This record gives sequence, C-alpha cells and structure tokens, in this order.
Amino acid sequence: MNITKTVNGEETVLAVEGRIDATNSRELQDAIIGAFQSTKNLVVDFEKVAYVASAGLRALLLGHKTAVSKSGIMKLTHVNENVMEVLRMTGFQSALHIE
Amino acid sequence: MKHHKLGMKALAGLSILAVVVILSTCLTIDIRYKKEQMSMYNDIAFSYARTAAEYIDGDRIRSYVENNTEDDYYRQVQRFLAISQAQTDLEYYSVFVPYEEELAYIWDVGSGEGVRPLGYREAYMEGGQEIARQICANTYPERIIVTRDSEYGYIASAYAPVLDSAGETVAIVGVDLSMPGIRKALFHFLITVIFSVTAVVALLMGLFYVFIRKNIITPIDRLNRATKEMVGSLESEETFHVEIHTGDEIEELSESFAQMYLELREYLRELSVVTAEKERIGAELDIATQIQADMLPSIFPAFPEREEMDIYALMDPAKEVGGDFYDFFMVDDTHLAMVMADVSGKGVPAALFMVIGKTLIKDHTKPGRPLGEVFTEVNRLLCESNKEGLFITAFECVLDLRTGDMVYVNAGHEPPIIATCNEGYSVRSVTPQFVLAGFDEMTYKSGELKLAPGDRLFLFTDGVTEATNAKEELYGMDRLCEVLCANAEKKPRELLQTVKQAVDGFVGEAEQFDDITMLGMELRKLKDSLTLKAELASLGTVTDFVNGFMDNCGYDNKVQTQIDIVVEEIYVNICSYAYPDGPGDVTAEVAAESGRLTLTFADSGFEYNPLEKEDPDITLSAEEREIGGLGIFMVKQIMDEVTYRRTDGRNVLELTKNVDTVLVDGTV
Repeated sequence: MNITKTVNGEETVLAVEGRIDATNSRELQDAIIGAFQSTKNLVVDFEKVAYVASAGLRALLLGHKTAVSKSGIMKLTHVNENVMEVLRMTGFQSALHIE
Repeated sequence: MKHHKLGMKALAGLSILAVVVILSTCLTIDIRYKKEQMSMYNDIAFSYARTAAEYIDGDRIRSYVENNTEDDYYRQVQRFLAISQAQTDLEYYSVFVPYEEELAYIWDVGSGEGVRPLGYREAYMEGGQEIARQICANTYPERIIVTRDSEYGYIASAYAPVLDSAGETVAIVGVDLSMPGIRKALFHFLITVIFSVTAVVALLMGLFYVFIRKNIITPIDRLNRATKEMVGSLESEETFHVEIHTGDEIEELSESFAQMYLELREYLRELSVVTAEKERIGAELDIATQIQADMLPSIFPAFPEREEMDIYALMDPAKEVGGDFYDFFMVDDTHLAMVMADVSGKGVPAALFMVIGKTLIKDHTKPGRPLGEVFTEVNRLLCESNKEGLFITAFECVLDLRTGDMVYVNAGHEPPIIATCNEGYSVRSVTPQFVLAGFDEMTYKSGELKLAPGDRLFLFTDGVTEATNAKEELYGMDRLCEVLCANAEKKPRELLQTVKQAVDGFVGEAEQFDDITMLGMELRKLKDSLTLKAELASLGTVTDFVNGFMDNCGYDNKVQTQIDIVVEEIYVNICSYAYPDGPGDVTAEVAAESGRLTLTFADSGFEYNPLEKEDPDITLSAEEREIGGLGIFMVKQIMDEVTYRRTDGRNVLELTKNVDTVLVDGTV
C-alpha cells in the first residue's frame, strides 16, 4: 500500500493505493491521524484502493472520530464498487462522509 | 437274439448247398445211367433180333406162308425162340412176313397174351408199315422203338431182316422188351443213388458244420464274449485273455484284440492323466483369474476418506483371464491416477502381459513426473520383454484434486468421455499416439484437460463399443453416449451398472468376444489446504493461497474480494486470540463444489468461538460506534453458513458460500 499526501491550501488529500489489510491498516491510521495535526479537512482518495477489510475500516473510523474531535471533516472519495459494498454492509456508508 | 445267428446261418447255408448237391448229383447220375441202360437194351434187343434172323433159314419161309404147316424145322426154330425168350427179359419173340397192308406171323413166342399162331395176319401197329419198308429197303437205323399198345403193353421193339439165299428180305424178326421192367430197374437204381448220395452229402455237411462250429463260430463267440467283458474291465487291472488256438486269422484276430486292449488301456490311462492335467490347468486358470481380479482395485468405495471424488470401475472378461485392465491410485496426497488399457489378444498370454503393463505403469507414475515420460519409459521396458508381439493400448490420466488439472497420455486407446456440470457426456478428442510395446523408440507426449467440480469422466475399452449382437451389429459410440447422457445424473457405480446392462441387453444371446471394462469418476470437489504459523505477517500467504485456488476455479472478481475479507478477518482473529503464548499452527482449507465454496480454518489454540461475539449495531453513527467487532460481522454477512466446532483440541471454523464458478475448461 502506498499513501501520497498532497496539501491544497485548507484541504489535505491522502491518495491511497493498493490493498488495505490487517498488516498495513496501521499505516493508514497513522497517516490519517498525522494529517489531522495540520489540517481540519481531510480527503482520503480511495480511487486506487481495491480492497478494505475490518482493519481498514477501523482506521477510517478512528480517522473520522479524530476529525470530529478536532471539529474537522474527513471525506472518502472515489470509492469503487467492491469497497462500497463493504461500507454498505457495515453501515459505514451512512456513518462516514463519502463522495 | 443275435447270439447264435452265425451258427444258424452256416447251417441254413449248408442245407441249401446239400440239397443242390444231392439234386444235381442224382439228376446227372440218372440221366447218364438211363442213357447207358437204354443203349445197352438197344444192343441186347438188336443182338437177339439179329441172332434169330441168322439162325432162321430164309428159303423155308415161303413154304410156311403158303402151306401154313408146321414141320420139324419149324418146331426146332420154335423151341430155339422159346428158350431164348424164357432165358432173357424178352417179352415177345416173333418172325413175320411183311406185306403191303398187313403182316403174317410165322413164329411167335412170348410171356404175355396175344401170341399168334402160324399164318395169322393182322394190320401193322402204328408206324409198323414204315419200319417194315425201311427194313426191306435196308435203311432201318437199328434203334429200338418204344410203343404203348393196349394189347401188347408198354414195350420197346427191335427188328432184323431174315434173308433168303438170294439176299432178299423174306421176313422180319421182331423182339419186344418190356419197358416197365426197364423202368423199374432204373427207378430202383435212382432210389439207391439218392439215398447213398444224401447220406454221403449229409455226413460231409455235418462234418463241415462241426468244423466251422469249432474253428470259426465258437472262437468268434468266445472273442465276442471276451470283448464284451473287456469293455467292462478297462478300468480294472485284469488283462484281456481269450483261449483261441485255431492257428489262423481268427487266432491272429484275438491276438490283435489283446494288443488293441493293451493299447486302449494305455490310451485310457494317458487320457486320464491328460484329463487330470486339464482339470489342474482349469483350477490354476481359476486362481489366475482370481489373482488378476485381485490385481485390479475392486473395493468400493475406493477412497472413503476422500470426499473430492467418487470412482467406480468394472471388468467383465470374455474368457477366463482377460487382457483388459483398469487401475486407479493416489500418486500423492493430491493426485489421482487413472488407467484404462487393453492388451492385444486374449487368454493367458494377454493376461500375463497385462500384469507386466499394469505393474510398470503404476510403478513409473510418480509425483511430478510427466506422463509422457512415464509412457516413454514403460513402452521401452515393455518392448524389451515382448517377443510375442503383443501390444497395449492405454490411456492414463493424473488428476490434480486441488485444481482439476488433468494431464493425460494416450497410447492408441479410446478417448475419454467427459460430462461437465451443465452439459451431458461428450467424447474428448485426444490425439492418440502409438500403442505401447509396439516400437521401443517411441516418445510420448502428454496433454492437459481441466475438470471442474461436478464433472464426470468415463473411460472404457473397445469391448464396450464393439460388443456385437446376434445380427453382427456393433454397440457403437453413439449408443454409448446416448446411454451415458440419459443417465448423466447417476453416481459412477450406478452409471457403470446401467451401461453394462444396456450393453448386455444389446448383445442378447450372442457370445461376448471381448472384455468389457469401464471406469467412471465423478469429481465432486476441488480442495486445497495450507498450514502455517499463525502470524499476521503471513496474511498475504494465506490470501494468495486462497486467491490462487479461486482463480484456478474461475470464481469472479467480486466473490474473490469478499472471500479475501473473510480469510483476512478469520486469520487475523486467530493470530490475535488463539495463541497468546506465541504463534502455533493454523490450517486453512478451501474447497470448491458445484454451487458451493467452503473455507475451513483450524487451529489448536485456546478454545474460542468467534461466533458467540455479539454483532455490532451498524445503525449507530460513527461517533457512537465501537472500534472492532466488525470483522466477524462481515464474515457472517458474506458467507451463507458459518459453523464453529471444537474437535480434538482444535478450533474448527467452517464457512460456506453458495456460489458457482464460471469455469471454462481449457483443453490443451
């Protein structure tokens, strides 16, 4: 998994690429929490994420809770169908901000 | 009764012969004697007639005719004639003078009536006139003349002329012999002859019969009886013995019989040895048949512990020991080998070659060894020990029970018939290569097929398709495919029995010429497993393993992603909770069946049932949600059936999803 961080003024974009599984979800979690040190608006681009399991969801949920605690916002973009199915199945679809 | 026919026949034959001999002998003697007698009487009669004619003085006759007076000379002649007549068999002795119409008696003496006085005239008897004329003309043939006359009786007459001094015939001497007397003499003679000839012939015939009886009939009877006894005593130790010492062909015949008896006994003894030998060979053939049958795997279900496949095979040999064989065995834990072969020829040679072929193929089929190489080597070895010119057509395939990949090699055998889940049985065209044991430098190449769970394989020998009915029709591939398709749903055992019944029904009463051998295999599921240390770092290995299996089976991408999640959640769970004191083993197993995919995870760690965990409330907002608990929830969502059991100190979690593959089998 690769994570590319881009800062666009107020907004920080984390472009994730690859599979997010139990072995690397920690990286995503750290990247998200790290990003909120310097921004309130985080966009996590899932365009190149093919796979997410519960470990990845946990990272997203922690990220979301961090955003709330900092009065910021975390958005997921470009979620593909397979990942969306996982989000739908777990109720994350309505709980997270997904564009 | 045939018993005394020969004696009767001889007797009858001899009797007929005797009658013929007696009759012909008597007849010959009678005719001959009669002729002799008559000739003798003829001579006697004429000699009397001539004697009297000489004695009488012809010159005196005339005076007796004219005067009718007896004188001394007349009485002298009368006495001479009377003495002569009395001393002989003469009936009448007379002298008469012939005239034109009548005759006149001069002298007449006789024993019967009708003796005429001197000068008595009377008419000629019948023919008398002619005889008188012949005598006067000197043309009389001197033959006695037999007449029957009412007055004179049955007489034979002879005549002689009485001449005067001038040589003229003046009177005729007539001599009459009594015919009944002659006849009587002849008859007596004949009776004597008949009696004596009959007696002699009867004696000879009797002697001859006794001779035949003694020298032919009795020995033959004896021989006959001895022969009858011989037939009954062939089994015993008695010797053939018959007392015949005729010194001829019959004795020789009895010796021949004795010789024949010995040879017959010897022959019977040899025959019983040969029969015993035959029985022994028969018994050994039975054992050979049993050994051959035992060589073929015949305990079904063959692999009760293997749920991946069901296999059944049968062989129905045409003769006691057949040339067909099938075989199946596990090459290693995940590879099933199947062989179907037909040795050329029938009977013991084919069966022996079959044993070699079967053993070589099984011995050389090793894990990972290409089948082409196996057949190349088996062919080379078979050629070394094949002076009889036998050959084997064989098909061998090795099926990977993890992937459904099937490698095969075909040495001139019938192609396999395969049914996929959705379609009926159809023949797979697999290029046949040269038969085994045909040519030692052959190189064989293997091919590849792919089977999916639910697919079925049918192997057979030409005994099936070439089964022939009474009308000389072949069963044929079309009928075979038809019956296979009609029974496509049946399990291998029932399927093969159905096909066998169909072939038997087709063949009917006709003789079975070839072995009928079939093998049916149903691939029920594909299964693979992986055992490794339960460490999070190995997650990729486990998912790659499952993905690889599913890729091979042809599951679509979406299902694979879902299964990835399940594998990850369960594996991570085990890594996190099962072994708190350091990682232990975990086994992941994946199995594909028609319409079902099953994952099984087993670990020997701390007893833990993840399914007992309460499902998270997914309707809560993100802020309210707990971190964790989602994994098992997702697993339950994705899979259709999830069960946990604790068996033999192991946690076993079995997860099933009802899903089909989109498999396209690739024939290479």
